[in-house]
Amino acid sequence: MVHKNLPLESMGWGAAVFVIVGVMAGLPTGVSAQANPYTMVQDVQTGEVLFGRQCSVCHGVGAGGGEMGPDLTTGEFEHSSTDAGLFNTISEGVPGTAMTGINRTRTDQSVWQIVAYLRSVSGGERVAVAGDASAGERLYRGGGCTGCHVIDGAGGRHGPNLSTIGDRRSPDRLLSDLVDPDERVQPRWWRMRVTHRNGTRVEGLRMNEGTYSLRILDMDDELWSFLKKDLLVSERIETSSMPAYGDTLTDGELEDLVAYLYGLTRADQ
Amino acid sequence: MMKRYVLFTLLIFAIPASAAQQRSGDSPTQTLSPAPSFEPVTHERLLNSDAEPENWLMYSGNYFSQRYSGLGQIDNENVGQLEMQWAFQLRALDRAETTPLVVDGVMYVTEAPSNVIALDARTGSQYWRYNHEMPEDLTFCCGRNNRGVAVLGDRVFMSTLDAHLVALDAKTGSLIWDVEVADEATGYSATAAPLIVGDKILTGIAGGEFGIRGFIDAYDQETGDLAWRLYTIPGPDHPDNMTWAGNSWRTGGSASWMTGAYDPELNLVYWGTGNPGPDWNGDVRMGDNLYSDAVLAINPDTGEMVWYFQFTPHDVHDWDSTQIPILADTEFDGRQRKLMLWPNRNAFFYVLDRETGEFLLGEPYARQTWAEGIDADGRPIRIPDTFPTVEGTTVSPSIGGGSNWWSPSYSPRTDLLYVMAYDGETTYFIRDDEYVAGERFTGGGGSTPLPQDNYVSAVRAISPQTGERVWEYQVKARSTAGVLSTAGDLVFSGTIDGFFFALDAETGEELWHINVGSRVHAAPMSYMVDGKQYIGIAAGNVFYTFALGD
Repeated sequence: MVHKNLPLESMGWGAAVFVIVGVMAGLPTGVSAQANPYTMVQDVQTGEVLFGRQCSVCHGVGAGGGEMGPDLTTGEFEHSSTDAGLFNTISEGVPGTAMTGINRTRTDQSVWQIVAYLRSVSGGERVAVAGDASAGERLYRGGGCTGCHVIDGAGGRHGPNLSTIGDRRSPDRLLSDLVDPDERVQPRWWRMRVTHRNGTRVEGLRMNEGTYSLRILDMDDELWSFLKKDLLVSERIETSSMPAYGDTLTDGELEDLVAYLYGLTRADQ
Repeated sequence: MMKRYVLFTLLIFAIPASAAQQRSGDSPTQTLSPAPSFEPVTHERLLNSDAEPENWLMYSGNYFSQRYSGLGQIDNENVGQLEMQWAFQLRALDRAETTPLVVDGVMYVTEAPSNVIALDARTGSQYWRYNHEMPEDLTFCCGRNNRGVAVLGDRVFMSTLDAHLVALDAKTGSLIWDVEVADEATGYSATAAPLIVGDKILTGIAGGEFGIRGFIDAYDQETGDLAWRLYTIPGPDHPDNMTWAGNSWRTGGSASWMTGAYDPELNLVYWGTGNPGPDWNGDVRMGDNLYSDAVLAINPDTGEMVWYFQFTPHDVHDWDSTQIPILADTEFDGRQRKLMLWPNRNAFFYVLDRETGEFLLGEPYARQTWAEGIDADGRPIRIPDTFPTVEGTTVSPSIGGGSNWWSPSYSPRTDLLYVMAYDGETTYFIRDDEYVAGERFTGGGGSTPLPQDNYVSAVRAISPQTGERVWEYQVKARSTAGVLSTAGDLVFSGTIDGFFFALDAETGEELWHINVGSRVHAAPMSYMVDGKQYIGIAAGNVFYTFALGD
C-alpha cells in the first residue's frame, strides 16, 4: 500500500527524456548500439498486444512472470540491459532455455514495439518530480542507506544495487518501496535464520537456496554455506530488512529522496 | 541457431566399420570386441519387453508405460555406491527432454530440435548421428524439444519438430522415409516419441496453442503410408461435435503431444489429449469440447475410438490431459482389475477401468482450489468463480498443473504410483483472441502471483486403491523431472537446481544424490550391458549414466 503521494507532473511525450535517434524500417535482425526507434504511445500499445499473443504464455499476462518465464517488470533483464540487447533476445531467443525467437511473421518494428512495452512496464514514461535530488543524496548518504545498497560500485551488498534504479522504477513505486518495503520482496532479498547441529547460529541474506543446501551472507559480510541436513533450525524471513521510512522522514524528505533515486539512470552514468 | 542444424543436415558420422559389419566379421580369433549384436526388434520382443529388462525398448519402458525397470543390481542397499560412468554432450544447447532407447548395447538418444545419435551404451561413444532438415523459422509452443524415438525391426522412428515422421536405418542412421504428418506453417509440431503397435507407427501431434485440430495418426512402418487418422475433435457428422459452439471445433486444439500406452490383451491403445483452444477463453467454444482433456481408447488396427473418458470438460485453464497413461493390473475394491492410473494436470489422481473406461476413483494428489471433488460419473464438481477473468482469478493448480508431461512411474513390487507433483497457483486471465493460421491462439494467459520459492514440488507415492499419499519427498520448486522405479526398490528423479537422486521406493527416504550441474528436465531410464546395470538421465544438455563402482 502507498501511504503517501508525491505531487507529480507528467511531462508527456513532447518533452520525453528519451532521445529518438531516428526511425529506421527493416533493420536486419541482430542490432547493436541502436536505440529503439519506436517509442510512441501507440508503439507501446501495439507492443502490449504483441506481447500478449507472443510472450505472455511464458512470461505472464502483464509480463509479471509465469511458470516458464521470468518476471519482466523489474527492469532487470538477465540476458541484456540495452534496448538493442532486448531486441536481439526477443528476435533470436536464449540458447539453452525454452525462450525462442519471436514468430517469423513479425517485423523488426514489432520487436521494437515489444521492447517499448517492456520498458513501459518496468520504468515507464519519464516524468518530472518535485523533490530536490541534491538534498535527497545527502539524506541517502547520511541515513545509513549505503550500508546495504550499492551505487556506482560503492556501498553494501544486503540490498538491491541502485545505480540505475531510476530506469526501473517510477517515482510512485520508489515512494511505495520506501514507505512499505515489505510489499514486494524478491526471493533474492529474503533472509535466513539457521542453527547448525554444532550450535552455530547464523542470520543473514539468503543468497541462494537449493534442494540440499543454502548460502547466507551474514551481517558482517561473511559467506556461509550449509547442507540442509546439518541444520536443526532453518527459518526463512520473507519480509524486507529495510526499515519503513514513512514515519521517520517527512513528506518533503521523501520527495527529495525519491528525486535522487529517480535520477539514477544509465544516462546519468 | 537453426542455421547450424541445417548445415549439418544428413551428415552421417557413421564409422566405416558399422555395427553390422563388425558383427559379420565376428570370429574367436579377433582381439577387438565387435559392437554388441543387434537383433531386429520384432513386435514379439516389444510385447515381451519385460522379459529383457537389460534393454529399454520404448519411451516409457514397456507397453504399460510404467517406467519401471526390472533390473535390481542397483538396490536400496548399494545405491550409495553409484558412480558416473560416462557423459554424452549433446550438441544442441536446448535443455534435453529425451529418454533414450537401448537395444542390445546400442543407445539411441535424441537432441533438439530433431536429431538422433546412436551410441555405444557402455562408453557413450558415437556410432552415427542424424540431423533432421527443417525450416529455420518454425512455430511451436514451448521450446525446441524432442523426447525420444521408437524402434521396430532394424529401424528407428522419430516424430519431428516440423511435424514430420521419419524412419532411419538403425545401423547406419540413413534416412529410409520422411513423411509430412501435418503442415508446420499452421502451427503443427511434434516432440514426443512414437508408439509401435504391430506394423504401425503411431504418432501424436502438438500445436494446442495455435488453433490446430488435433489427431492421432498411424503409419505403415514399411512405406510410411498413412494407415488411419483419428481426429481428437469429431467432425460435424458426429453427435459429439455438438459439444463445440458453432465452428469452434475447427480451431479447438485437443493436441496429442505425448506418447500413448498399449494393452495387447485388450488390443487397445490409450492416448491422452490436450487443452481445448483457445486455452483460456472458453466463451467462444461453449460446451464440453469433446474429446479435449481426455483419454481415448483406440483400436490400433482400425483407428476406431472404442471409448473415451474426459477429465476436464470445457477446460479454461490449459490443463492438458496428455500425461503418460500408466496401465496396471492390481487389486481394486477387493478384486484384481485392469486399471489405468492417471495423475492429471488438473491435480486429481484418477483410476479407471481400462477395459470399459469406467471411472473408479478421483482424489486430489496436489493442491487444487477449483473443484469440490469428482462425482460418481467422474465429472468434476466445479467451485464457482474459478474461471479466468479480465482482472484475473487465482486458482490451484497452476497452468503447468499438479503434474504435466514428465513421466510418472508405477512399481508392481510396491504397488505404488510415483509422480513429481507441484502445489502451485496461477492468476488466470481471459482475453479476446482472433484465429490467424500459424499464430498463437490462446485467449488469455496467466501469471504466477508469488515467487516460485513459495510453492512446493515433491515426488509423491500414491496408493492406486485409495488415492492416498503414502509418502512424499520435497525438492526445490518447480521440478519438471520424470520418475523411474526399479526392481531394486528405488525411485529416481531430479530437481530444477541440477540434482539427480534416489529414494527408497517403500519409504521415500533419500539414499543418494549427485549434482549433475543443470536442471533435470527429462525422465530417467535403466539398462544393462555386459552384466552392469546403468541408470541414465539427461540434465541440461548432457546425458549421464551411473552404475555401481567396479
